[in-house]
Amino acid sequence: MIDAEDVGGVHIKYLYHCRRQLWLYVRGIRPEHLSATVQLGEAVHDASYTRNTPVDLEAARLDFIDGAHWVHEIKSSSRPSPADQAQGRHYCHRLRRVGIEAQGAVLHYPKTRRTQRFPYTPQAEAQAEADIAEVLAVATSPASPDRLARSACRGCSFTDYCWTE
Amino acid sequence: MPTAARTYWLTSPCRIRRKDQSLIIERENADNVHIPITDVRDIVACAEVDINTSVVSLLNRHRINVHLLSYYGDYAGSLLTSETSTSGETVLAQARTAEDPKASMEIARSIVDSCAFNVRRVVDRKLLARPYKVLQESIGGARSPEQLMGAEGTFRRSAWEVVDTKLPDWLQLGGRSRRPPKNAGNAFISYVNGITYARLLTAVRLTPLHSGIAFLHSSMERQRHSLVLDLSEMFKPLFAERLMLRMAGRNQLKEHHFDRESNQAMLAEAGRKLVVQTVRDEFAVTVAHRSLGRSVAYDELLYLDALALTRHCLEGAPYKPFRIWW
Repeated sequence: MIDAEDVGGVHIKYLYHCRRQLWLYVRGIRPEHLSATVQLGEAVHDASYTRNTPVDLEAARLDFIDGAHWVHEIKSSSRPSPADQAQGRHYCHRLRRVGIEAQGAVLHYPKTRRTQRFPYTPQAEAQAEADIAEVLAVATSPASPDRLARSACRGCSFTDYCWTE
Repeated sequence: MPTAARTYWLTSPCRIRRKDQSLIIERENADNVHIPITDVRDIVACAEVDINTSVVSLLNRHRINVHLLSYYGDYAGSLLTSETSTSGETVLAQARTAEDPKASMEIARSIVDSCAFNVRRVVDRKLLARPYKVLQESIGGARSPEQLMGAEGTFRRSAWEVVDTKLPDWLQLGGRSRRPPKNAGNAFISYVNGITYARLLTAVRLTPLHSGIAFLHSSMERQRHSLVLDLSEMFKPLFAERLMLRMAGRNQLKEHHFDRESNQAMLAEAGRKLVVQTVRDEFAVTVAHRSLGRSVAYDELLYLDALALTRHCLEGAPYKPFRIWW
């Protein structure tokens, strides 16, 4: 279905957010373009840091790298989450794989004008490897993971799919 | 179907042009209308429309379908965007379900049952109690989709008779006839069914399902999208029969709304406008949805039902076709 090279930032993000979402995403269920929240996120993304160019790593696509090899990621939410951090970590991992000595990830939250820095340590590297293995495990499982508690689904673009009865 | 975008209904002859990232609707006897492309989910054209390549490419980029209703008001066809929402995995699961006689019969049976349930709910609970019971018995014993359709036909016939008792003489159906509809009542039903079909096609195209693989109607036998035919069964009574009885009861439908010739009838210009407006407003009516915990428009119900079917195919979640619950 997918292998380690295909795992991108979205997979990692969904792994932390909701395994079921990841499972569906891998199977081509992509209702994001219907979600107003996602459209807002894209707009925030397009309107922030417009002078920098995104970097395309095939499966992963990161917002930009600065001269000191820090990976920058722009988030439309106001609250930092482990998923954001994992995404940054994954990008560092991908960059190291292609021979760029990424120093770590800087997460930008334009809404609250906060940034967070996460240096890429050996520990983080191990975690990034583990995340990829975990994504593959979820993706290849034949049965879909259970839904989260209903209250945790707020704002998710898969809500309609998961909860219609 | 979520998002801020909406459906545009074109009721008078017009030409659609492109101006940068927006559409211009040029009407014959009225001003031009400018519409930003992000505001459009899909377009239902109830009158003659001219369109050109640059418009089509813009529509395609934004995944906007155009549905065309013919001169007689039945569904004439659609300009569909490329199938960007279908997922291979889901289509395979859907095909496996359709190939499995047991699984597909179960879906077909529940579709017929829900359809009849909705008809009964909309037309007359008491008078249709017995036909509904007969239907449930006969679909229980049905072995093939043809038998199911036969049972549904029998039920429908008694339902049409009951409908006739509630209509003024000139609007009575006297049995369902199509292409072309024989009388005013049939013309109304055909017209609204055509719109429902078009809206459902949009809904199905937004889900990962393939619109050609069906459970009740035979897949791809006709040129139509058979899955859409399946799913529209449950929704036709919600719009066609319900609106017809309501509009007749309120004396909104008048004889001059129809052009009637010896052996066929169609909606006249004024009637068409009235019906399209009514149907459009009806699609926007909202009801509280229990499991989603928010209110959804009737329009969205079509999409949600298609999603429920997706979930059944892909994950084996139980599929309960749409029933009017309010």
